[in-house]
Amino acid sequence: MKKKVLLMGKSGSGKTSMRSIIFANYIARDTRRLGATIDVEHSNVRFLGNLVLNLWDCGGQEVFMENYIAAQRDHIFRNVEVLIYVFDVESREYERDMHYFQSCIDAILQNSKDARIFCLIHKMDLVQEEQRDLVFQERETDIKRRSAPLGITAFGTSIWDETLYKAWSSIVYSLIPNVRHLEAHLDSFCSICEADEVVLFERTTFLVISHSTHKEHADIHRFEKVSNIIKQFKLSCSKSQAQFQCMEVRADDFAVFIDVLTPNTYVMVVMSDPTIQSAATLINIAAARSHFHRIEQGQIAR
Amino acid sequence: MLKPKAIAQVLAQVNTAGVKATLLLNPDGSLISFAGWSEREARVLAAVASNVWFAYERHGRPAGSEVINEDGKESLQDLILECEAGKLCVSRASKMLLCLVADEETEWGLLKAKVIGNNGYAFVRHPT
Ligand SMILES: Nc1nc2c(ncn2[C@@H]2O[C@H](COP(=O)(O)OP(=O)(O)OP(=O)(O)O)[C@@H](O)[C@H]2O)c(=O)[nH]1
Ligand SMILES: [Mg+2]
Repeated sequence: MKKKVLLMGKSGSGKTSMRSIIFANYIARDTRRLGATIDVEHSNVRFLGNLVLNLWDCGGQEVFMENYIAAQRDHIFRNVEVLIYVFDVESREYERDMHYFQSCIDAILQNSKDARIFCLIHKMDLVQEEQRDLVFQERETDIKRRSAPLGITAFGTSIWDETLYKAWSSIVYSLIPNVRHLEAHLDSFCSICEADEVVLFERTTFLVISHSTHKEHADIHRFEKVSNIIKQFKLSCSKSQAQFQCMEVRADDFAVFIDVLTPNTYVMVVMSDPTIQSAATLINIAAARSHFHRIEQGQIAR
Repeated sequence: MLKPKAIAQVLAQVNTAGVKATLLLNPDGSLISFAGWSEREARVLAAVASNVWFAYERHGRPAGSEVINEDGKESLQDLILECEAGKLCVSRASKMLLCLVADEETEWGLLKAKVIGNNGYAFVRHPT
């Protein structure tokens, strides 16, 4: 199942940077070396067994933008499943950015009116922390107004913290077929293990695909943080020629297991009952593998 | 799949009539669940029990126990030891080991019966 995903926004807004971090194992600092994208760079990312993201990273310099909107209009905006529009929060040319955004929205309305649209207000790290919420809300309201009648979902993001993972997890979540079904199984797995929480990550990107929470936790950003941390740890493992397989973190009042679940996923199991032994949880993870593998391949009927 | 709390309850039910502790462990000696004793003692016992088990399985094989396991190979099924201060009974339970510790007065037959009874529980069948 191939899904066309457009990545658009003005030059230097950070499209290629985020794509490289999420899908190509870059760390944030490496993105400073990226040059401007010329025309469109295509890449196919296999994501879970049979879902392929067909990413169109569209270089954002004005000559290219004009070209997308006019000469290549049909070619670019046809059959789009997802449009991801990236705004540089610090851009000095606000009205011009908005002009191009609205042109793209028009083109989507004509060619792929069912596409989902995500707007990322990017480089939020450059805004002072106490002003971020306010700036974000202002931008979101304005973008929503301008994109009517199409609905959009907005995120404030930065490559320097976990917000990037939050946004991309939501984007990817919206693309996974059967995600409810997967969630139901994850939920029963969570009860059998007597776990507080079970989280499923995609194996290469470490984006959160699904989760089941039986005991609430105060930090609502915990998933993105874990994605970010484990992904970086995984990258540092591969630097020393080792492959990250699994880890167990144990403290006085909880234990966490991160382990391979299927060829395309990792699972994280959070346990807070100190009487439950690690070996029992590990046996359960091992026992769940083949089951989730079949779900992934779509072999278990709904 | 294993339901950790349910297993601990089942194991606790075995701890009567002289049985002081009941453990479920992996063949490598890691503890899966236990009842009776402290966690620390249980861990030590699990390590010792698995060691003894494998010593017998490795060296005792030529003398031959008649039991055939799932792979069609002969293998050890139960091991009952009399120690200075009690009795130890280890038994194969699917891919795991079940281990009972009892005081000296406990009868052999009772110990054996408890092990067999426990092996009948669904939880020691193959985890699915
Ligand atoms: N401070 C900050 N800088 C960022 C962030 N994301 C990307 N950058 C920087 O922005 C610069 C441009 O990023 P690119 O990803 O090449 O921009 P682009 O959108 O692909 O540009 P075109 O290919 O020309 O359309 C790089 O130097 C990145 O390091 C961010 O979240 N915060
Ligand atoms: Mg680029």
